[in-house]
Amino acid sequence: MDWSLLITQATINGLIVGLLYLLMAVGFTLVFGIMRMVNFAHGEFYMLGAFGAYFFTTAMNLPFLAAVGLTFAGSIIFGGLLEWLILKPFRRDELNGMIVTIGMAMILQNLALIVFGPDPLSMPAVAEGTLQIGSIVIPNSRVYVVAFAGFVLAILYAFLKYSRPGRALRAVVEDFEIASIQGIRARIYYPLGFGLGVGLASVAGALMAPLFSVSPFVGATPLLKAFIVVVLGGLGSIPGAAFAGLVLGLIESYASLFFSSSTADMVIFAVVMVMLVMRPKGLLGKGEI
Amino acid sequence: MSKTIHFAQPTDRKRWYWLSLLAVIMLWPWFSGPFVLHLAVLTCLNILIVNGLAIVGRSGQLSFGHAAFVAVGAYVSVLLSSALGWNIFLSGLAGMVLAALFAAILGWVILRLKGVYFVLVTFSFGELMRLALLDWSELTGGANGIANIKPAEILGFVFDTRARFYGLALVAAILSIWLMKKLFASPLGQSIDAVADNPALAESTGLSVHRIQLVAFVMGCAMAALGGVLQARYIGFISPESFNPGLSVAFIIMLVIGGRKSVWGPLVGALVLTPLPELFRGAVQTQHIFYGAALILILRFMPGGLISLSERLKRNKGARA
Repeated sequence: MDWSLLITQATINGLIVGLLYLLMAVGFTLVFGIMRMVNFAHGEFYMLGAFGAYFFTTAMNLPFLAAVGLTFAGSIIFGGLLEWLILKPFRRDELNGMIVTIGMAMILQNLALIVFGPDPLSMPAVAEGTLQIGSIVIPNSRVYVVAFAGFVLAILYAFLKYSRPGRALRAVVEDFEIASIQGIRARIYYPLGFGLGVGLASVAGALMAPLFSVSPFVGATPLLKAFIVVVLGGLGSIPGAAFAGLVLGLIESYASLFFSSSTADMVIFAVVMVMLVMRPKGLLGKGEI
Repeated sequence: MSKTIHFAQPTDRKRWYWLSLLAVIMLWPWFSGPFVLHLAVLTCLNILIVNGLAIVGRSGQLSFGHAAFVAVGAYVSVLLSSALGWNIFLSGLAGMVLAALFAAILGWVILRLKGVYFVLVTFSFGELMRLALLDWSELTGGANGIANIKPAEILGFVFDTRARFYGLALVAAILSIWLMKKLFASPLGQSIDAVADNPALAESTGLSVHRIQLVAFVMGCAMAALGGVLQARYIGFISPESFNPGLSVAFIIMLVIGGRKSVWGPLVGALVLTPLPELFRGAVQTQHIFYGAALILILRFMPGGLISLSERLKRNKGARA
C-alpha cells in the first residue's frame, strides 16, 4: 500500500462523505437563511428519509431511484405542513422557534423508536460489484449514491437559479424585508423553504441509507456535521455550505489517517467557535451577519 | 415582549397557608422512603441549576451549553479534592470560580453577537467541553469517568446518606431561590430584565447591555457549577456523558415549561419535570414525546410557563371581584 493510493482512496471517501455533509448543510442553511433560526430537528429528518428509503425499497419493492424520489417529495410536503401547522406562530420569534424545533426533534425521534424499534436495520446495497480505475477500487453502490446526490444537487441548483419560486426563495434568504416589498409573499416561502430544507435532509438520509445502517439514532451525527459546515460556510450562504461541506468531508478523511478522531473533533469545534466570533460570514465570506 | 410578574402581597393568612404547604412539601421526603428522597435531592439540584439558567435567560440570551458549566464545577471540585485533598468548600469554590472565569471570557467575546449566534457558540462550547473531557483522559478518566467520589463533608459532618444530603441540597435550593428574589428586586436584576425587554432602550438610558448580560451570564454559570459540585458528591460518579448537550436541553425544557420570567418558574419546572420520568417508567419514548409536545404547546399557548397559570387565576379572580 503506497501513500499515493492511500491518499486517493481517502480523497474519494472524503468526497462521498462531503457530499452527504453538503446535502445536509444546504438544507440547514436554507432554513437558517429564511427563518433565521437553527433547525434542531434537521437530523431527525435525515433519519426519517433513511427510513423512508428503507420502507419503499424493502416493503414495497420499489427501485432505489423511485424510493428516493418518493421520499423527497413526501418530505417536502411533510416539512411544509410542519412549518404551517407548528412553526407559523414563531416566524418572528427565532429563540422560541428553535426551542420548538427541539420539541419536534424529540417527538420525531421517539415516534421512530416506538414504530421501528432501536435496532439498526441494514438495507440491501444499491448495486453489486466495484468500479476500478487504475489501482483505485470504488464499490459500485457508492458510485450510484454519488451520482444520485450530484443529480439532486443539479436539480436544486437549477431550481434556485432559474425558476421563479427558486429565485424568490433566494431573495427571501438574502433579505426578507426587501423581498416582501418586491411582492414576494412570505406566506408561501416560509413553508416552501422549510419543506425544501426537510426534503434535502431526508434525501441525504435516503441516499446514505444503503451505505450506513438505519436506526432512529442516525440523525445526531449528520446534524452536528451540518452545524459545523454551515458555520464554516457562513450562516445562510448556500455556496458557502456546499464548499465547506466538501472541504470538511475531505479534511476528516485525511485527518483520520493521522489523528485520533476525538482530537480531530475537538479541533474542529474550536475552529467553529473561533469562526463564529471572528468571521461569522464564513470561509467564502458570503454568509450574513 | 414580556412583563415582569409582580406577586401581589398576599394577606397574612394566605401567606401562612402557602408557607405551611411549602414546609410540608419540603419535609415530606424525609418521611417517605429512599426513593422519594432521591427524587427530592435531584429536584433541589435541578432547581439550583435551572435558576442559574434563568438568570442568563432573563438577560435575553439562551444558553445551550449550560451543562458544560455544571461539568466544570463537578470536575474541578472532584479533581482538586482527590489530587490535593481540598475540602468541599475550597474545591467547590474553585470550581465555581473557574466556571465563572470561563463564562466571563466566553461571554466577553460572544455576548456582542446577536441571539442566534449566542445559541450557536454556547452549543459548540458544550460539545467542545464534552470532547475535551473525553480526550484528556490522564486527568479526567476519559469515557470511563471518575467513580467512587467521596461524599461531601462539612465541618466533620459527612453527607453520606440520602437523608443527610437532602438537607444540604434543600438549603442550596432555598438559598438560590432567595438569591433570585433578592437579585430581581434589586436595581441590577431590574436592569437585567430591562436589557432583555428592549436592548436599544436600555442602552440609550445608560445601561451597558454587554456588561449586564455578561454579569448575568457569569452569575448563572457559577450557579450551574455549584449544582455540578453538589451533584458529583451526591451521585459519586461523573463522566463526560453525564454532561452531554442533551442535559443542556433538559435544563432549557425545565425553564421554559416552568416559566422563564418568574422567580418561581425554575422551581415549578424542576418540581414537575424531575419526578416525571418515574411516571413513565419503561416508556421512555412516551415520556420524550410528551416533553416535546409540552414544550411546543407551552411556547404556543402559555409563553410564561406553568407559573403563569397562577397569574391567570389571580387575574380572573380580580376581574370577577
